[in-house]
Amino acid sequence: MELAANQRVVIFLLLSIGLITLPHVYHVPLPLFAFFSGLLIWRFIGIWKPSYLPNNILIFLLTVSALLLLYSQHQGVLGRDAGTSLFVTALGLKLLEIKKERDLYLINYLAFIVATSQFLYQQSIIMAAYILFVCCVLLATLVSINSQKPQTIPALKTALIIILQALPITIVIFVLFPRVEAPRWMMFDEQHSARSGLSDSMEPGSISSLGLSDELVFRVKFKGAIPPPNQRYWRGPVFSHTDGKKWTETKQLFFKRFLDKPHYQGTAYQYTLMMEPQDKNWVFALDMPVSYPNSLEKNALYQLINKKNPGDRAEYQITSSPQYNTGYITKTELKDNLQLPSEPSEKITKLVQHLQGYDQPAEVFIDALLNHFTTENFHYTLMPPLMEENPIDTFLFETRYGFCSHYAAAFVYLMRVADIPARVVGGYQGGELNKAGGFLEIRQANAHAWVEVWLKNKGWTRFDPTAAIAPERIEQDVNIDLQLSTGIVNFNPTNVNISKAISWLKQARQMWGTVDYSWQRWVINYTGANQAKFLSSLGIHDFKAMAYWLLGCIGFITIVLAWFILKVKQNVVAKELRLYQVFCQKMAKAGVKKQNGETAQQFCMRVQQQYPQLAEKAELITDLYIKLRYAQCYTEEDFALLKQKVASFKY
Amino acid sequence: MTDLNLKQRFKLSRFIKGEKTAVKRIVLNQRCIFILPTKRGLGFVVLISLLLLIAFVYNNNLAYLLAFLLASIFFITILHTFKSLANLVLTVGQSQPVFSGESAGFEIIVENLTKQARHNLQAHLQQKVDFTLSTQEKRRITLYSETVKRGWQDISTVTLSSTYPLGLFRAWSPLHFSAKVLVYPKPNIVELPFPEAAGAEINLLNNPVAKKGSDDFYGLKEYQAGDSIKHIHWKAFAKGQGLFSKQYDGNDLSELWLNYEHTPGHNVEERLSQLSRWVIDAEKMGLQYGFKIPGMTIEPNHGKPHYEQCLQALALF
Repeated sequence: MELAANQRVVIFLLLSIGLITLPHVYHVPLPLFAFFSGLLIWRFIGIWKPSYLPNNILIFLLTVSALLLLYSQHQGVLGRDAGTSLFVTALGLKLLEIKKERDLYLINYLAFIVATSQFLYQQSIIMAAYILFVCCVLLATLVSINSQKPQTIPALKTALIIILQALPITIVIFVLFPRVEAPRWMMFDEQHSARSGLSDSMEPGSISSLGLSDELVFRVKFKGAIPPPNQRYWRGPVFSHTDGKKWTETKQLFFKRFLDKPHYQGTAYQYTLMMEPQDKNWVFALDMPVSYPNSLEKNALYQLINKKNPGDRAEYQITSSPQYNTGYITKTELKDNLQLPSEPSEKITKLVQHLQGYDQPAEVFIDALLNHFTTENFHYTLMPPLMEENPIDTFLFETRYGFCSHYAAAFVYLMRVADIPARVVGGYQGGELNKAGGFLEIRQANAHAWVEVWLKNKGWTRFDPTAAIAPERIEQDVNIDLQLSTGIVNFNPTNVNISKAISWLKQARQMWGTVDYSWQRWVINYTGANQAKFLSSLGIHDFKAMAYWLLGCIGFITIVLAWFILKVKQNVVAKELRLYQVFCQKMAKAGVKKQNGETAQQFCMRVQQQYPQLAEKAELITDLYIKLRYAQCYTEEDFALLKQKVASFKY
Repeated sequence: MTDLNLKQRFKLSRFIKGEKTAVKRIVLNQRCIFILPTKRGLGFVVLISLLLLIAFVYNNNLAYLLAFLLASIFFITILHTFKSLANLVLTVGQSQPVFSGESAGFEIIVENLTKQARHNLQAHLQQKVDFTLSTQEKRRITLYSETVKRGWQDISTVTLSSTYPLGLFRAWSPLHFSAKVLVYPKPNIVELPFPEAAGAEINLLNNPVAKKGSDDFYGLKEYQAGDSIKHIHWKAFAKGQGLFSKQYDGNDLSELWLNYEHTPGHNVEERLSQLSRWVIDAEKMGLQYGFKIPGMTIEPNHGKPHYEQCLQALALF
């Protein structure tokens, strides 16, 4: 095959390869990506200056250097990152050696593999659409190779039509093809880049940094009613230990077996919780989880822990009861939750005394403290001033600007000074209801910290000092869009225009959220258990039934497609023959039937014998027909004449 | 076409040579179109398996989706490839007699009655001919076949094929047409003088050999295969006017009898070859020539029909 004639094909191919490797700039080590780009550009130049292309020796040297480069970056070829780099490099090298049509095909196939490797990094709907588009271009390249006069737009159109026609069967196979988990030895350990999220310790400012992230953490779909906003507390890590500045989890959780059995009252909420990939194996259940799948366990702090890999997306069926009584407190808990780093300062003891912490029951003190937050000049802000030394003292008596973590920390500290067991609970609060999808979306900006106080006859009881200072935060949910755009925690936008724009933005975000939710749920997460569940709801229970259904559906679609693709738009019978057949039919009605094997002339003779009055017309029609059918030259007028004669023919 | 029984239906020769029933006009349908994956198509299957493996190892649903998409594209392509040949109408056109050793050209008329354009068609006899057909287009293509033996030569199987759209499958249709071409004996290269010395059979009014070089140049005629190189009007050719042969006027001057028995040659073919040469030369020079071969005698005459009759007699001897 001559390359000159196929320049267009090569340009096409190079462009689609550029498109397909572009997103890999984040995943392939920079030296390798630069190497690949160099080869691609070299090949592009080679289209117009073929003499610049490398000869065999140079290609060999390039291959050796590519292998060295690969080895220096990855030390192997197995695994996702190394494999991707390998295929990208191979693609680049193969580009320089396009000699035959076969090479074009090989490059095309390599490009498909590189396209697939894209999905190992990102599975968003946008990436899928992008890859689909590039696949269309790759197919169009194949169409161009197989056309003698390649044209860009028709080739793209053909490729698109083929893809559209292939979609029904693809979907059927996708739904019915059995998903089996790969055996352990086939899996590669991959390290993930750090994700943002709640950390296992609480420092001033650690949660407010999340306040600016609209990254999705999890979604919740309720079976029945959705709990009101002020009950949407998604329980995460519990911080009991403090050094006065930093709050950390208690590592010793052996007291779990001494815990009292909690009592649950009121209506329970049933829901499906879909976690996005996380770094920590925490599952944020609605306070307080009652029943949960076997893959989870509840620790001594009533937090759900995932036993498996948190890096995967996962779905859990959980039931939670918002009203509960945890019963008595164990000795360890008591000790842990009264711990103070040092003697409280004089100002603090004075404050506790002022709020009647020492002489009144715990409930009275709590009310007084919450009231103190409300009535005194305290402010709620996402960006509080820095409090390096004695943060609690500074916050309570000097700055009085703080985020939920400041209030929670100060609250617990004051409780402990008054000898009341208390601890900080981290997690998420609220969640935006996606009206289209009917589920709650909880984002990093919903990160929150609140307080648990152990009360006699009530057990661990939740209090939220943030609710006292900024009740909107709890009642109305964070306005993430505004928070993102201005960096200010704001709940009631006063400017009407902004509010309009925000509501429009909110709608768009919700629509997108619904689409994305369906995508995650039905495409990305359609594996093993989910597939089994969905198929058995359709009455397909085992592999055999799956195979039958698969074959049946594909067969049916094939028949429909074959009819659709192969139906002939124009009658295959040539025009003149069709007209002549009309004449024969007319004669058949008159009693003269054309025999098989009888020539037109013989038939004409018979007609003339039987109906001498028609002789002239029959002869004219026969002559015209023979001329049109067998003679080399005829005109369009002959067609018109034949048509007219046949139409007017009567016996 | 007649119905086939099961054994005939799966006979291998049907897939390569086409059905035995030779016809003049064929509409390509599922009965005569065969499809198999090409090597590239098999490569595509390997690609799909590789993608499935990646999807399986990483349990990645989008990789599965892409693999399934390619698999169903592979499947759908069968229909498209079939469609690239289906409903084409092929008719045999005319073919001119040739001298043995020359390529015989068979004319095939391919007609696309549908609205769908055919982007990549190949007709294959001994060489490949690539062509395309747009909507409702009719095209004549000429396929050449080497000739080695005189007599009637059948057009062997013409294979029409296409790999459109993706090159993953090749649809082909072996067609067995009832067309044949007449192959004349190859004219001897050595130009022997006409058999003047052979005696009674030759009745020369004038000596044609002497006449041959003389001036009674009669006119020019378009070059035809078999014309002697000596008679080509090279001046005209050099001027770019095309190939012409000079014709010499010898009309009514002589009556030449060509007799098989007195033709030099070691075997039948050599003698026929020599006769063929003489017939060509005699026609060129405008002689009245008669013809005598065992079992057949043709009275002396002149002109194209006579010329063709003589050569045909030689071809079929």
